[in-house]
Amino acid sequence: MGSNRITYAQLLETNNLIQMSADETYWLCVTRTVQESKLFPVPAYMMLSYMMSYYRYPSLLRKIESRMLAEEIGDRARNAGIKIQNPSMGWALPGFYLLGREWLITLGLIRPQDALQDLIYVMDFWKRFQLSWHRNNGHITNKEFGHRGQFLPERRVQIFHADMYDCSQGDELHEAAQNFMAAASQYGFLISCESRISLHNSGPYKLADDREMIVRDFMDLSESDFPWLDGVAANVPYNNLTVTMAVKDCHVYLVDDWGSFESKPAFTADKLTGVGLYTSDTLSDGYVPVAMGSREELTACFRSLTEKIKDANNKLWRRVAGWSRDQMIDAGAITYFSIIKDLAHVAGVYDVNDWMMVDERAERFRPLFNDEYSRDALVGLCIGTHTSHRLSEYTMMQHSNAPQRLYSLIPYSVLQGDDYTPSSGPIYPGASHLPAKVDRYNTTRGVIKLEEYNRLSREMRPPTVDPKYRYLCETWVKYHAGEPLADELYKLEQANSRLLKGKGSMLKRVDIEKLRASLR
Amino acid sequence: MAKLYIDNDKYAEPNASVVVDAYHGAIHDLIRRKLESAGGDWASFVFDKSYDLITSKDFEAIEKKLLGTGHRFDWSAMISVRERPEAYKPATGLGDDIKNFSFEHPEAVVAPPDAQGREQRGVGDNVVKYPKNLVGIARYIRSSERVLELLTTGVPVETVAIIDDSGGTLTAPILEEFKGVICAGGTVRSHLGILTREYGIPCLMNAKVSGIKEGDRVEIECTANAKTAEAYQTGVEMTAKVWRLTK
Repeated sequence: MGSNRITYAQLLETNNLIQMSADETYWLCVTRTVQESKLFPVPAYMMLSYMMSYYRYPSLLRKIESRMLAEEIGDRARNAGIKIQNPSMGWALPGFYLLGREWLITLGLIRPQDALQDLIYVMDFWKRFQLSWHRNNGHITNKEFGHRGQFLPERRVQIFHADMYDCSQGDELHEAAQNFMAAASQYGFLISCESRISLHNSGPYKLADDREMIVRDFMDLSESDFPWLDGVAANVPYNNLTVTMAVKDCHVYLVDDWGSFESKPAFTADKLTGVGLYTSDTLSDGYVPVAMGSREELTACFRSLTEKIKDANNKLWRRVAGWSRDQMIDAGAITYFSIIKDLAHVAGVYDVNDWMMVDERAERFRPLFNDEYSRDALVGLCIGTHTSHRLSEYTMMQHSNAPQRLYSLIPYSVLQGDDYTPSSGPIYPGASHLPAKVDRYNTTRGVIKLEEYNRLSREMRPPTVDPKYRYLCETWVKYHAGEPLADELYKLEQANSRLLKGKGSMLKRVDIEKLRASLR
Repeated sequence: MAKLYIDNDKYAEPNASVVVDAYHGAIHDLIRRKLESAGGDWASFVFDKSYDLITSKDFEAIEKKLLGTGHRFDWSAMISVRERPEAYKPATGLGDDIKNFSFEHPEAVVAPPDAQGREQRGVGDNVVKYPKNLVGIARYIRSSERVLELLTTGVPVETVAIIDDSGGTLTAPILEEFKGVICAGGTVRSHLGILTREYGIPCLMNAKVSGIKEGDRVEIECTANAKTAEAYQTGVEMTAKVWRLTK
């Protein structure tokens, strides 16, 4: 047992966070999609990834926090389209860890009170990150916000709004942007071994009575962390791309913690009326415009990117088609498990051995993961049909009304002397069937080696987290707009804006619309 | 024999999956035996001794025992059955037998030819509503070998891909070349549904079809309303027809 005394308040809060994650996991799994593939053994790699997450996340998160607190990383998450958003942080961090825990409970290999300090810590890390990332909307998840994903401060939304170019179906920019998003979506699914975790949608932000804006991120596109992109993605010039999308006559009524959205009426290409393009990473200090000097430049850039992505897509597909089952499982499991790896990049403590390897404790289970058992065990985990899920017949679970609970709660009896164990232990060695990662990382500061990447990340101090500006929140802006410090804050963000550079803090949405109209 | 914490579960019930039940029963027995051999002390077993005592060989033995009963696993990824055909149910319709293969869904709605010579062979969930129905040539795309062949030789024009994989990766390098898609799995929100919407390719997901052979001319009713999220959640049927053209 550890030296830190566990309190009733800690257990109450941790169980609440566990239950919150459980409720949303069930809803997401039941309503969002059917996950299957003839190419990748998806359920097998998902099961393995949950084991990897269970055994390693506590140690890796502690390592990250030894350099940077979760709430500071949460502040930075509002400033870049990288994998510290959804589905990584809103769902996967607690989800993968808790799904792994639940499966081990079902197997009888752990009890609900085992690795208790790990569990409390992981959920607390998640809570602090989420509250910080969601600071501007005051919720902990998109679910709590009624399935809405507004994170950005006004000063950033105004730039996205002002600088996007109008487009309409049939024009060159519209066609180029649409083709790019189709190709990038397809490539994203392949990079991520059939999962959707290379893509993220957030918003909507209200641009006008008939228009909303969705911010769509395409992540990990170039040579960076994944060994399977070495070589094939060398010509993809940006690792992360963010497309701002104005949609007309279409209300985005749901943006979930997986980063997918629903709208009424359904979003179709004809409803896209404006686009912009940006890149970002842990070294970029926010969103950097890409080819945003003119609509012609942007159109040409979308076309060029589309060709490069299609080329990378075809090369990657040929590589994957030649993989063994173990290689496919490793790539998928590593993709899933490392969904939160950008936390380590932000903190400057990224290590290939931490994130691109299968921990030997998880590896033991591989012989169980044939297609049939993996499928049935996974479905059981996601909809709550394993023995550990069963509750009293009087119970009615949220959404299903069945006597079940997706994640076991911690028994409070540990507070009156029942034994528990504190931790699953440190990181154990790992291995992979995939080729070793080449030490080459495409960043906004150029193609660099990992040592330099970590060093630059540790040196990075964006204004967002500078003590002078960090707590100048949206509530503060409401009552201080026009003052020198507020103008300074806005001008920092506006430095790379085509239309708003130097405009300061007093503009409102109508002013942005007028500015855009004057330039049409 | 040592007892596990979960052995005293007031609400436990058997799992609906026979394989899961068999595996979990065997694993529980394994852990009881290993815990017993370690002296029965849970605290030193759970995150310490068990790491060495419970190994991949133990799990291989559990699988071997199940296969020894004659059970063969369902497969979902081709690579699984290709690498271990002895452990999985046979795969059909993936190679030379494609000419005689057809999806045969037991709930496929079929009807005799209408006045235009269109014989209904099933229904599916329409992803996007288009102004005109789509006519093309049915071609089954079910393996990476087939995709590689088409990637090399080119996708024939007019191809309506008949697919049982609702994912977005099997057909990744050639999807854009399809004129239409009929997918036997997934929903309009599956990755294949998302991608066909982005590419502007008419597509039916969750298609229940029968009797469509390689090379048949088919028509997809992509003028039908797209299936909505509400329709899925409330169980409302919103389907589009698939016809085989006899004229």
